[in-house]
Amino acid sequence: MARWLHRAAALATVLLVATVAPPALAAKTVLNVGMAAIDAGRLDPHLSATTPDKALFNWMFNGLVRMKQGTMNPDAALIEGDLAESWKSSADGKQWTFNLRKGVQCHHGYGEFTADDVVYSLARSGDPKRSAFSSDFKDFDKVEAVDKYTVRISLKNPVPSLLGLLINYQGGNMVCKKAAEEMGEKFTQKPIGTGPFMFGDYKSKESVTLVANPQYFRGKPKLEKIVYRYILSDASRDLAFTSGEVDLTYGKQDQTWVERMKKEKDTVVDVFDPGELSVLYLNVDKPPLNDLRVRQAIAYGIDRNQIVQFKGKDTSRAAQSIVPIGYLGQSADVPLAPYDPEKAKALLKEAGYPNGLTIKIIHTNLPGMLAMMEVTQAQLRKVGITLDMEVVEHATYHANIRKDMSPIVHYSAARFPVADTYLTQFYHSRSIVGTPTAVTNFSHCNDADAEIDAARVEPDPAKQKALWKTAQQKLMAKVCGIPVYEQPQIWARRASLDFGFPLKGSLSLGPVIDEGTHFTQ
Amino acid sequence: MLGYILKRLLLAIPTLFAVLTIVFVLARVLPGDPAQTILGDQASAEALANMRHRLGVDKPIGAQYVDFLVNAVRGDWGNSLVTGKPVIEEVRNVLPYTIDLTVTSIVLGTLIGVPLGVWSALRRNTWVDYVARIGSLLGLSFPAFVSAILLLLVFAIQLRWFPVISSGSLDDPVERLRSLALPAVNLGIIMAAYVTRVTRSSMLEVLGEDYIRTARAKGVPTRAVIWRHAFRNGLIPVVTVVGLYLGILIGNSVLTEIVFNRPGLGKLIVSALNQRDYTVLQGMMVVYAFAIVLVNLLTDLTYGFIDPRVKRQ
Amino acid sequence: MSGDAVTAPGASRGSSYALQQLARAFNANATSWIGLVTFLLIVALALLAPVISPYDPLDQDILARLQGPSAAHWFGTDSYGRDILSRLLWGARLSLVISTVSILAAVVIGGIIGILAGYVGGRFDMVIMQAMDVLLSFPSLIMGLMVVAMLGASMGNLMIAIALTAIAPFARIARAPTILVKERDYIEACRALGYSDLRIMTIHILPNIVAEILVMASLWLATAIRIEASLSFIGLGVRPPTATWGGMIREGFENILDSASLSIFPSLAILLVVFSLNMLGDGLRDAIDPKLRGGE
Repeated sequence: MARWLHRAAALATVLLVATVAPPALAAKTVLNVGMAAIDAGRLDPHLSATTPDKALFNWMFNGLVRMKQGTMNPDAALIEGDLAESWKSSADGKQWTFNLRKGVQCHHGYGEFTADDVVYSLARSGDPKRSAFSSDFKDFDKVEAVDKYTVRISLKNPVPSLLGLLINYQGGNMVCKKAAEEMGEKFTQKPIGTGPFMFGDYKSKESVTLVANPQYFRGKPKLEKIVYRYILSDASRDLAFTSGEVDLTYGKQDQTWVERMKKEKDTVVDVFDPGELSVLYLNVDKPPLNDLRVRQAIAYGIDRNQIVQFKGKDTSRAAQSIVPIGYLGQSADVPLAPYDPEKAKALLKEAGYPNGLTIKIIHTNLPGMLAMMEVTQAQLRKVGITLDMEVVEHATYHANIRKDMSPIVHYSAARFPVADTYLTQFYHSRSIVGTPTAVTNFSHCNDADAEIDAARVEPDPAKQKALWKTAQQKLMAKVCGIPVYEQPQIWARRASLDFGFPLKGSLSLGPVIDEGTHFTQ
Repeated sequence: MLGYILKRLLLAIPTLFAVLTIVFVLARVLPGDPAQTILGDQASAEALANMRHRLGVDKPIGAQYVDFLVNAVRGDWGNSLVTGKPVIEEVRNVLPYTIDLTVTSIVLGTLIGVPLGVWSALRRNTWVDYVARIGSLLGLSFPAFVSAILLLLVFAIQLRWFPVISSGSLDDPVERLRSLALPAVNLGIIMAAYVTRVTRSSMLEVLGEDYIRTARAKGVPTRAVIWRHAFRNGLIPVVTVVGLYLGILIGNSVLTEIVFNRPGLGKLIVSALNQRDYTVLQGMMVVYAFAIVLVNLLTDLTYGFIDPRVKRQ
Repeated sequence: MSGDAVTAPGASRGSSYALQQLARAFNANATSWIGLVTFLLIVALALLAPVISPYDPLDQDILARLQGPSAAHWFGTDSYGRDILSRLLWGARLSLVISTVSILAAVVIGGIIGILAGYVGGRFDMVIMQAMDVLLSFPSLIMGLMVVAMLGASMGNLMIAIALTAIAPFARIARAPTILVKERDYIEACRALGYSDLRIMTIHILPNIVAEILVMASLWLATAIRIEASLSFIGLGVRPPTATWGGMIREGFENILDSASLSIFPSLAILLVVFSLNMLGDGLRDAIDPKLRGGE
């Protein structure tokens, strides 16, 4: 009888100790992210160009190739394979062959990712009816599946950076054919890719939940879940971060915020590329902006340096050209109008507006962009230009500006860091909004088409740069767009969140999160 | 009694149609083409025409009106332009949060307001009365978002007693209560201010009535006088106020939901506004229309049970 | 009392009665006086804004963002470096203009509707009152929200939105005494004497309701200011960069961790105005109501 008593006592002791003793602290596996948006836009990597959506795509999709994780270096030598293991190009650069990884699985059981999916995906991103980035692929002649794991891309003419078009960004994101065909329009509500995280759940205006993809070809992610929470209000998001309800948050783009966040305990502020270039595109077809003098007046009325001061000397810099600093082919030798309010007023008077004029514009409610615009509004008021600003939600804004609903379009963007991309998308006549091949040419300018086209196929790098420089000079002389400032991406995170690599740059504008990202406690 | 109920129910129907008509008028005054808003930049003229047909905005306005009424009653309030989901589903998703908040606020408001009002009436012109009157006036004067920000500052930011983003899951009861606390207190206190005032003046009126004096003269103990006679009769206007206040409560809850980032009908309507989601906006107005008529009906029916004069009819 | 000896007993006493009532009401308690004086003070400040405002409310000073109160900026600066005090003063102008105009419109329109309905009676009355009931049942903020959402955010539309929500209550309170008075014998006498309806309404009915309307008006003025602030806070107010109290609080909320001044001072301003108006209306009502009930 004593024996079972002993056993019982032992068991009881063990149980007692187990419950009373502190449990081994397991590291968190759910990442809460705070984003400044009211809701998801369209969750289709080939359709949405908004920052909040793009961040998500990076975590869900792969390209054929990718830039090294956490960097934004377009140097072809540093590009690594993603869905493709290896590739080679023909001597004339018009034929490229990619060898795919084997055994890559699409999310949610949609089968293996093969060459057919690549063919489908590229056809989709090149189709103006299904993709907002179709014009990137206009030089693509044929995309063929040579066999199950080999793809051959034939180009009409060589392209400055083909690999840049095939990274996991915008049109290069690879979608799964079976899923996309099956779901049709519903794909935007449950996108299917091959990346480390897959779509889990969507709560309208609250959050999108991503779950780990256990079959990810680089290994099962350490994080179990990512909850991407839509908190538009800067204050609410900050408060959520300080109280621990959010671990990674989209930053407020100004100096005061950065200073305050740096002082918070257990917090790291990440500042990384790309510097998004903030430009005011002027529709040269719409009066009163069809008068060059009015456009020049606006340009002279903007005090770049004051805006940089407002945003923060450490976190922003004045723009130099309509192509962002550091991009291959950017030139600072361009007619950039300095701040000269007197000249602005004189030009207005000359154009027939001695008492100034009022321009009605639409603008997004995205806090960082809106703040800058309010400062600009005040600056322009001083030279007699009144901006009557209607503020709409961000995704709505994106839809509206593509319908020419605002004569001045404030757009903040980074693109693959080669001048061609930026110039083509924003200044080539093919890209004019409202046309079948529209991209983001809000200014309706077409003055540098020749130079842009020539530079694209120019084999001599020096001549290529010269052509790009001429393009910038021409476009800036015509004041198609007024570059204001550049701002890198600013996010804050818990010190215990380790991405798995140093975060220096991310083309998707959000932190790169992959299978290695984890909490250290 | 039954006749009263039936009469009220019957009256609710034309009221509902009247309210729905106002909603329809407001909604069709919209500028712009909803089809374009949905399809955006990729749209062809053909696609636009198809969408307009799908939305039913290419029919003559009379036909649209009839469709609208029929659909509103059937519960088909259209699909969100942004998510594509039916409006009724969006509403259903956030309804539990709104109900939580509304019920708790009403309970808080009445639990605080009624006793305070009675006490203040009984102690007329003493310091209790003055404090209650000034206090309730002050409470009324706070716009709901101002008091919400104040509560947020003190209790969520400084003291960290309550969460800042008050969504929380509905499953965990503790979380649910914690995220409900500050918003409910905000709404409850403002409501308490109203209820205090009405209870006070209603009690004062009743206490001055002849039959009260008679009861006292007859020797009925004061306590019984208060509870059995004054209180019951004094309650009637309070019910009115609670019913009337529901309208204000809806407005205030919109503001509260914004400050505390809490899901609910209010946040739904504000984000629909920002996103120019016309169908959700229209759907929300229909929801409010139903809610209004329902509240009025409930108030009327409650009268039927409380007010003996009505009972006798 | 009015010196009209010809009128039958229980006759209406004309406009001087109304004034005497008011004077009595004011003298009855301190609250209405305090409320009135405070309110008038704020109105004065608002009217004088162009003169006493230390800065242009739209002038930005990027280097002086989000500062607390200082010698240069008594109430501190906002997130663009604009002086809060100046913006408060100009915001007061805006709030007062919008609320006064809208309530005035509501009083006039609502009053006319109510008097007409009560006077004409019958079917007309029933239809009008049903319509008013329907309008009444819409929560004011929601109604305002919808109107501004549909029509767009501008000063004019805000006034329309607020006026719409206020018409029904004023119609109601104009109608009740109208019905009471209408039945009086002396009205029959007036008609017999050949007085026009219009004259009857203006001279005999109107003075009876002036006092009540004033009470309602002050309380509704407070509500109007609250609604305008709420709509601005949601983002449906007059567009930036115009200074509005609600807009300032919204900005303050956005920057709550960096500066408390931006939330506190406009909040205090709204509170002060609304509270003083409520005191005014409340005090008046306390004084008027029992007397009216005791009277005719």
